[in-house]
Amino acid sequence: MAKTKAKTLRQIAIYGKGGIGKSTTTQNLTAGLAEHGKNVMVVGCDPKADSTRLILGGLAQRTVLDTLRDEGEDIDLTRIMKKGYLNIRCVESGGPEPGVGCAGRGIITAIDLLERLGAYTRDLDYVFYDVLGDVVCGGFAMPIREGKAKEIYIVASGEMMALYAANNIAKGIRRYANQGGVRLGGIICNSRNVDRENELLEAFSKELGTQLIHFIPRDNVVQHAEINRKTVIDYKPGSKQAEAYRALAKRIEENKKFVIPEPMTPERLEEILVEYGLFDGIEDYAI
Amino acid sequence: MPNNATAQTNSIMHPRYGCTVGAAYTVAAIPGAIPIVHCGPGCVDKQFFILSGCNGYQGSGYAGGGATPSSNIGENEVVFGGANKLDKLINSGVKIMNGSLYVVLSGCSSALVGDDAESVVRKYRSDGKPVVYVDAPGFKGSNLVGHELTVRAIIDRHVGAYSGRKRKGLINLWAEVPYFNTNWRGDTIELKRILEGAGFSVNVLFGPEAGGVEEWENIPKAQANVLISPWVGLDIVKHLADKYRQPWLHVPVIPIGEEATTKFIRDIVAFTGIDSKKSEMFIKKEASQYYYFLEHFADFFSEYWFGLPSSFAVVGDSAYNAAISKFVADQVGLIPAKHIITDNPPKKYRESIRKIYMELSEDVSADVDFIEDGYLIEKKIRETHFGAGVPLIFGTSWERDIAKELGAILLEISTPVMEEIVINRTYIGYKGALTLLENIYTNTVNGF
Repeated sequence: MAKTKAKTLRQIAIYGKGGIGKSTTTQNLTAGLAEHGKNVMVVGCDPKADSTRLILGGLAQRTVLDTLRDEGEDIDLTRIMKKGYLNIRCVESGGPEPGVGCAGRGIITAIDLLERLGAYTRDLDYVFYDVLGDVVCGGFAMPIREGKAKEIYIVASGEMMALYAANNIAKGIRRYANQGGVRLGGIICNSRNVDRENELLEAFSKELGTQLIHFIPRDNVVQHAEINRKTVIDYKPGSKQAEAYRALAKRIEENKKFVIPEPMTPERLEEILVEYGLFDGIEDYAI
Repeated sequence: MPNNATAQTNSIMHPRYGCTVGAAYTVAAIPGAIPIVHCGPGCVDKQFFILSGCNGYQGSGYAGGGATPSSNIGENEVVFGGANKLDKLINSGVKIMNGSLYVVLSGCSSALVGDDAESVVRKYRSDGKPVVYVDAPGFKGSNLVGHELTVRAIIDRHVGAYSGRKRKGLINLWAEVPYFNTNWRGDTIELKRILEGAGFSVNVLFGPEAGGVEEWENIPKAQANVLISPWVGLDIVKHLADKYRQPWLHVPVIPIGEEATTKFIRDIVAFTGIDSKKSEMFIKKEASQYYYFLEHFADFFSEYWFGLPSSFAVVGDSAYNAAISKFVADQVGLIPAKHIITDNPPKKYRESIRKIYMELSEDVSADVDFIEDGYLIEKKIRETHFGAGVPLIFGTSWERDIAKELGAILLEISTPVMEEIVINRTYIGYKGALTLLENIYTNTVNGF
């Protein structure tokens, strides 16, 4: 009997400023990977538990932590893992109500439980962790600790605060990169249509020592797809936007450039923003 | 090795105090008060072991040891918040435990996840229940820090405002830290006996002779606060001065022996301005009895030639360290060889503590080290020159090994005390000084 070659599981964490489009990007890109026959699991690491809505066709998921609280640890994996579009496996860590408890610890607890319940099967090609906002404490860094995600992509845009957040996240990555094997795979630009966005993101990525792995243009079809609880690839497979997500999936699939980032000083970041952030001087605008 | 605390490593071998939540035993020492702890399983049990179980086997009392209500915070409470569990615990604790004051101490886990424990407690207070909240995460510091926080919380949140008259002759006694100072019960009884003998009424607040929660409610009525400690309690008496306009007398060294105790009485009498007739009569009677026994002891002390110690070292918390050092150097006449303070006093108090050792007796001074790590303490003791006589070490059970190595006599006087049973022993005042002498020289003659 021929032996099947064991797959190499790629575990990828997606970070970025809150509201930048991490969940939308993650779900669309995983849809792109699934189209190529890849076995993918998405682990939402956000108490809002909305990281898998587009793949599952709604907030149909019972979170790991709600299940743990109500039913204890002695549960079957199927209670917390659902399959959605193209058999993408979806898990939501969930978390406490806003303002109480510790969401960071919740992520650690949830991922520990997933491991114990055997969610990380040998047939998986990818596990994506969609992590909320900034790396504010140890809990939100759980997906990039040793033995978890080795690759990180930061979703950013040409907006100043998105780049500040990305630079800050790079500091967190650098810390864990020095301790373990985690590396930055690149910056994904989720366009906000700001001036010279591509150039700015190219310059920003270069300064961090990484690459702008893909530029996702802004398109209203994303909004339509979201309202219909679908990824763009599912909702409008023939659209340009679907092609953009497929291209991102392909670039990640083929990516070989993984680096320890070199975060910038706030002064350097400001310099880049000034240099690339505007087409014209402020005096050229009619205010 | 430099002769200061900065020489300390970042690890501590041989723990010598509990953590902030150990103040549960400050509460347990108040008759009628019940500690309720909001922390992980084992947290408060560990405090019991270091402060009571392994400290003279002092026992647990009504609300200590295994009886202390604890929320035993688990992963669920960390992730989702522990307020609901604390609410249930207080609700049950108040029903099951018979107390007139309940003090909720929240520990590390709840502080880290930001539980709003105070609002849970506030609900009970609004319902008229005598429940007080103390934010006591272990990372705030030792049980001594916790002791001060807890006392202040009870004063502020239970005793409350007072603008009535003061009672002349009534004093609040702030002395040893319950359970932590191994002889605290016997010592408090002796201090009360002395102060009452001198004509005072005393709120002793802790221990078997305390008047319970009602006595705490009388704190604002006292004429003055008397603090007998090098540093623990200074925050309390300063706070009381602000809150109730009460003056305070600071006695940094616990009095041991006739000279120190008599001076102690006279200082307080002068400070409060009460009539000294009663106190002088008391002093006369006590001194007479003290010297009767000392005279008889002198036969042994002067005639027993076979290797009595001539130099001594003290390793322990600042209160007992200073008191023993002073008495043994000044009254027994032994040579102070090494003094190591182990309770990590705040830096701002260290100079005033050093000053105590500069004036141990006439023309007798000693240096003092502030070290918590047992490895360094053993090293320091090993390097100490004790002269030709047998070394005498006042320390803790942790010094048992080095005492054996040096062939020294060891008297356990500070946390932890694991090889002595302490019931109502006192080493202070008039009576305690004689017991201390008995124990020093019983151990000496036993060694031959």
